[in-house]
Amino acid sequence: MKYEPTLKTRREFLRGTVLGSALSWTVPSFLANTFATLHAAAADAPTQPVTGKEATILVVLQLAGGNDGLNMVVPFGDDHYHRARPQLGISARAALRLGEGVGLNPGMTGLKELYESGHLGIVQGVGYPNPNRSHFRSTEIWQTASDAHRFESTGWLGRYFDSTCNGCDPAVAVALTRQMPQALAAKQPRGICFSTPENYRFIKADQVRADELDASEAIYRKMNEAGEVAAEASGGTIEMLNGPAPHAGSPLDFIERVALDAQVSSDEIRAITSKAQNQATYPGSRLAESLKLVGRLIGGGMATRIYYVSQGGYDTHTNQAGTHTRLLTELADALKAFVADLKAQGNFERVLIMTFSEFGRRVAENASGGTDHGAAAPMLLLGNRIKAGLLGRYPSLAPSDLLNGDIQYTVDFRCVYAAVLESWLKTPSVPVLGRRFTPLAIV
Amino acid sequence: MLKPLSSDRWNATTAAHLLNRAGFGGPPREIQQLVALGPERAVARLVDFEKIPDATPNPGWARPDPERRNKLQAFRRADAEQRRELQREERRQQREQMTELRHWWLGRMARGPRPFQEKMVLFWHGHFATSVDKVREPYLMWRQNELFRRLAVDHWLRLLVETGQDPAMLIWLDQARSRKQHPNENFAREVMELFTLGEGHYTEKDITEAARALTGWSYNRETQQFVDRPALHDPGVKTVLGRTGRLQGRDVLEQIVAQPQAARFITAKLWTFFAGQPPSEALLTALAASFRQHGNHFKPFLRVMLRSEEFYDPALIRTQVKSPVQWLAGTIRMLETELPPPQLSGILTRELGQDLFAPPNVKGWDGGLSWITTNTLLARYNQAALLVQGSGAARSGGRRKPRQAGRGPMPRPRPPALQIEVTRLFSEAERREPGALIAALGSRLFQTELKANQQAALREYLDSQGVLDDDDILGAIRLAMSTPEYQLT
Repeated sequence: MKYEPTLKTRREFLRGTVLGSALSWTVPSFLANTFATLHAAAADAPTQPVTGKEATILVVLQLAGGNDGLNMVVPFGDDHYHRARPQLGISARAALRLGEGVGLNPGMTGLKELYESGHLGIVQGVGYPNPNRSHFRSTEIWQTASDAHRFESTGWLGRYFDSTCNGCDPAVAVALTRQMPQALAAKQPRGICFSTPENYRFIKADQVRADELDASEAIYRKMNEAGEVAAEASGGTIEMLNGPAPHAGSPLDFIERVALDAQVSSDEIRAITSKAQNQATYPGSRLAESLKLVGRLIGGGMATRIYYVSQGGYDTHTNQAGTHTRLLTELADALKAFVADLKAQGNFERVLIMTFSEFGRRVAENASGGTDHGAAAPMLLLGNRIKAGLLGRYPSLAPSDLLNGDIQYTVDFRCVYAAVLESWLKTPSVPVLGRRFTPLAIV
Repeated sequence: MLKPLSSDRWNATTAAHLLNRAGFGGPPREIQQLVALGPERAVARLVDFEKIPDATPNPGWARPDPERRNKLQAFRRADAEQRRELQREERRQQREQMTELRHWWLGRMARGPRPFQEKMVLFWHGHFATSVDKVREPYLMWRQNELFRRLAVDHWLRLLVETGQDPAMLIWLDQARSRKQHPNENFAREVMELFTLGEGHYTEKDITEAARALTGWSYNRETQQFVDRPALHDPGVKTVLGRTGRLQGRDVLEQIVAQPQAARFITAKLWTFFAGQPPSEALLTALAASFRQHGNHFKPFLRVMLRSEEFYDPALIRTQVKSPVQWLAGTIRMLETELPPPQLSGILTRELGQDLFAPPNVKGWDGGLSWITTNTLLARYNQAALLVQGSGAARSGGRRKPRQAGRGPMPRPRPPALQIEVTRLFSEAERREPGALIAALGSRLFQTELKANQQAALREYLDSQGVLDDDDILGAIRLAMSTPEYQLT
């Protein structure tokens, strides 16, 4: 297992700046600028530095469960829609009109405002060939950007880091989820995930005597000092406390580095979340809580390029109408607050928000007032520099154009990914996506 | 190549290596027993597991459902509302049974008398990675698990045939839906790509022809058994990997196993699983030759492998990242205690990235360094606290309310998930004297000495506690588990 120069140079960097003076793990502001600018070898990279406080940011918002695209971006002018959905169909009067025959779900007033102010782009009919209707599998396809019949173990954002990111901040990607989303899985794992910042840390056992608490955390830090760093920082004399250094590339060497990343990013996140303030008032939903935290992390100056948040509950097989509108209201209100926060911070310029869901739902409603697993659906893109409006073409709902009752996609989701990679993250998309997908014009 | 390790290299380090890799590790006493046996008999103790009785009772529901037929009929007759209710009930039951099943298997790994057999079951589960997310029925997942146990070190062809006809696999890779008019290629493809040969050692044509030969292998939902349905089988002539004829499913698997590449593929994977690193080309050639020489039987091959000098290469010792399951089961064994309660044990490994019976995809877990991320590493450190000391917040997702001064009593710490008898693990002198305790922690948890700076840090911690009590010792165990070294075996 090769562990390339990153680690070595990273250590040299740490030794020079942080450990040179004192053997301390309270790194004050860790690699706030991109590591690339600090190291000549990495400066040759043909792409934009991957970390940095000024760089663009992508927020990926997963709508988990299979969002009913037809009732989010409503083709109210289409008779086929109303015929297929006698109960669930949203009328022309109710829909929030966006353009000819198309409108938003009535719950999404928050997003309607952003649409009117030119901050919302809607890519219509996004999907992929041979759509899979399993939540599990289709989510995997979206996360790994693979063809439907291929299995990839790395995620598309993970490959983005693999192809561009040498020695970047451990918090270059932050997922506010309980488990690392597969989209971030990489050959060289990067990024961190946590559901609550308080728990992303070394947690001291609850003990009776208060003095013990600090003792155990300080001891933990000492016991996680990396061999080579500590040994060399101490002068490499007989006081080589840590014994022989694990050879570069060994598993121990790797884990020591991850342990260091964990400490540093944990300290950084707690420091930022305890001092940064949100500049807008958020509603109380769980999604809003997540975005509120992202708002604080961005405002506090994290070097993160990718944030990943998720909203669940979209698997609406039964009595969909009320549930779905409530979910979309939460979504729209949370995004509206988030955008307001970013604008007040002066950071909106830097942020692109992209939603996706593993699939849309069947055109025809089912007998339980719900909808079953389907295929293509719209994606939402929010940002200040985004090409606003309706992008792509709404797929036909004529029964003869459906495939097994599903709409056929008009835009491959990887064309959206390619656009995000090239136009927003400023990186070539082919190394990430494996082949050429024509980027959609989104900026 | 593959010469048996000489007896003069047999010591606590090599014996511990064997127990860690061919099992889930164990306390110093058990390592000493293996040292005393000598290498030949120590390997036999693990590999000839059938000589050791294992009386683990099966879960009560682990049998074909006698009410199955009635249930399916009732479901067919039910209206939409009733169906939803039946499905809800079914899902609730499935969740409960899966919790029980995970605990049952973890218990066998963490406490059972046949660690090597369970290690092989874990290998086969990762190899034929089948997920309950699609299969749904806990009984079928248990049944596949039992198949891996029964044939853990059996014959490659027999294992492949029985796995191919295993109901969970028939569902997982859609073989149950394959018929001559529309052969489903999923199983045919994965069996060559992921289970036996690897990419580049077959053609697309081999897959389509194999899929035709495999038609007819099906699943009877009512009896929950494999069934061969001649009416669905394509009886025509096919050519697979150079063999032509009116091939059937078994013929395909026979032809696969006859390929030299099949021996290389599976022995490389076994070596990597046990040794922690892929074999060199020369070693792989020797491994594959040994496997074929033993007629594609796993047991004699594995005995040679675990006995070989190469397996005890010092560069391999304590360099393998523990899988979450190894981490948990090994901790239980080294601390000589019981698994945490069912609701907790499965959640623990899942949070560390290994949800038993639900591998991420048909490739299984990537393993190795990919187990370790900042998040899972902190989770391991914090789970150590939860297991050993009890804690208010060590489980991620459990949001702790901030404690406010002057409002109510101090919250009581959550009791530890493991009952650890400090007096059983450490002598009186070790419990009293920090230096002795640190040495004992090293040999119990790492089978070696801790690094000097870690010893010094632990010393500082223990010295600051005054007269040592059990809580201090548990605190030291947790700290020792919260190190990079403890993540390796």
